[in-house]
Amino acid sequence: MKIVDRFTLWFLGVTLLIIPINSVITYQSIKGQIDKAAITRLKHVNERAAQQLARGEAVGEFMQGCRIKAAPSDSTMPADFFLITDRDVKHDPDMEDYDRKITVASWHMINGVSYKIISGDYVTRSEQILAGLRESIMWKLVILIGLIVLTARLASRLVLAPFYSTLKKLQRFNLRSRTKLKFKRSRTKEFNELNCFVEKMTDKAVDDYIHLKEFSENASHELQTPLAIIRSKLELMSEYNIEGEQAVLISDMQNAVDRLMRINRSLVLLSRLENNEFECEELLDISRYARETVNTFCDLITIKGLTMDYRIEERVEVKLHTALVDILLNNLIGNAIRHNYAGGHISIELNSRHLMISNTGPEPQAPPEEMFLRFRKGTACQSSVGIGLSIVKQICDMNGFTIEYRFQAGHHIITIDFPSTFTSSKLLQNDTRYLHEKTQL
Amino acid sequence: MKVLLIEDNVELASSISAFLAREGYICEVSYNMRDALDKLISFQYDCVLLDIMLPDGNGLEILRFMRKDQVHSPVLILSAKNSLDDKIIGLEEGADDYLTKPFHMPELNARLRAIYRRKKLNGSNIIAFNEITLNIDTFEAWVNGTMLDMTRKEFDLLMYFMVNKNRVLSRQSIAAHLWGDYTDNLSNFDFVYQHVKNIRKKISAANGTDYIGTVYGLGYKFNTSRQ
Repeated sequence: MKIVDRFTLWFLGVTLLIIPINSVITYQSIKGQIDKAAITRLKHVNERAAQQLARGEAVGEFMQGCRIKAAPSDSTMPADFFLITDRDVKHDPDMEDYDRKITVASWHMINGVSYKIISGDYVTRSEQILAGLRESIMWKLVILIGLIVLTARLASRLVLAPFYSTLKKLQRFNLRSRTKLKFKRSRTKEFNELNCFVEKMTDKAVDDYIHLKEFSENASHELQTPLAIIRSKLELMSEYNIEGEQAVLISDMQNAVDRLMRINRSLVLLSRLENNEFECEELLDISRYARETVNTFCDLITIKGLTMDYRIEERVEVKLHTALVDILLNNLIGNAIRHNYAGGHISIELNSRHLMISNTGPEPQAPPEEMFLRFRKGTACQSSVGIGLSIVKQICDMNGFTIEYRFQAGHHIITIDFPSTFTSSKLLQNDTRYLHEKTQL
Repeated sequence: MKVLLIEDNVELASSISAFLAREGYICEVSYNMRDALDKLISFQYDCVLLDIMLPDGNGLEILRFMRKDQVHSPVLILSAKNSLDDKIIGLEEGADDYLTKPFHMPELNARLRAIYRRKKLNGSNIIAFNEITLNIDTFEAWVNGTMLDMTRKEFDLLMYFMVNKNRVLSRQSIAAHLWGDYTDNLSNFDFVYQHVKNIRKKISAANGTDYIGTVYGLGYKFNTSRQ
């Protein structure tokens, strides 16, 4: 729902709430005023009747258009006491004319005789007032709604314009283009604050992105060089005639250096993945790579005494960068071999919907949802870095694949579901058009 | 064989030159671009080992200079940059091979030999030592005139041994040579042991001398002094 629609709805709600209250108040005050006027008039009539009686003239049945009755009374009341009654009378049942009548009774001492004078008149009934009110309410509502809707549109066009332009710019913002956002000053304080904040935030994001990129590039170089030195020196050292114990020490050092090197390389790769450096627009025939990888690992599988079966469909095309497909397959199949026991089994299935790798192996100690976290590894394999699966996960997330791990009947099963390329691209197209339409107004 | 090493890191340069000197190469070292260009203009080298990131410039400029000024020495790039793009740029600029740091010394040696064979010996495809002969075009290994039935990996491994004679080859370096960059996350090197065992068995079966020995704790060595 658009912001302007929300405001309109709120206004309409408030209007619809106020109008009935308003009409009750109007009704009460109109009725009160009518009654008051009638009562004042009737009191006045009574006074005149009393004066007439005092002059010794008789009082007729009607005076000034009101029915009047004057009779001597036993009771005496103070001179300024008026008894006011208000009742609906059935004047003429045939005509169904239900009328409301107000009567005013007063007591007067005229020439030593106490008189009771009653006068009455018919006044406007509440239904009649309401009928008048109803019409005015209808008109009021129509005009109000029309004006609210119209002014809301106009106001949002004028007042919210900077907001929509900010939104549009944000939607088109891309970190990798490294262009910072610039906003026009607006006359609204809040929008200026928003723009200022967004500008600061995106500037920071761009700066951070550039720094991170620089860091990951430098980290590779700065760490690899000393590692290369250590490794080369160790290799030179191992050329000398060394004793058994020294050999073990050198070997341990070599292993540690190797491990450091792998961690460094994996982390640099991960940060580059997170920077979305491997974006790709082209389809890649993953079947070919899968077959190659399976072939590469073939003798390794034989050496470890594993059996393998694979069903790789021809020409499975997915959106994936060439540099990543090897990493993905190597990590997954490598894992399947590593976390396996002698005589175990691996099965690989690739078709246009998914890639599934399942292998036998000991039950995992950690809960499955922690599988893709960094440096999380099974206790069985001390020498692994524990970062391979998080790289795989990152690659999947980036390319819109869903990856799932489960342990079932002694098998580790990793499934990667590919988005169906046709529908997803269409959906995306629709989505962007929808977004832009929304901001167009 | 005369090699020019262009590498700004003194420590690494000394390791590499020490290693190559043992191998019988004549190795000259330049620590910066200016010096390297001077040397390239003045002398002929059989191979240039080139680091891309240099204190006073980019190694690719040296490469461009060499291609423009008709310096025909083959170039092997040594770089810490290991992204695919960097490799592609390096190779397209005219380098013959690209090795990412940190590398194993025997790997560098094997690659150097391969470049040298391709460029200088007009693709001589035979590597021989005593009774063992390898044809690197047809991937055939002969011992005393009998052809061995070898897998591609075993052939590559035997070639690696013969290029790096009398050197201790660690299991890691063998794995990296045979399996490339991303298979080194494989935890154990049992498969290296298996391959070595197979090669030794096959050579012995053809009445060849078993030159490959185990170096305790470190790895293996192709020992030419064995009889």
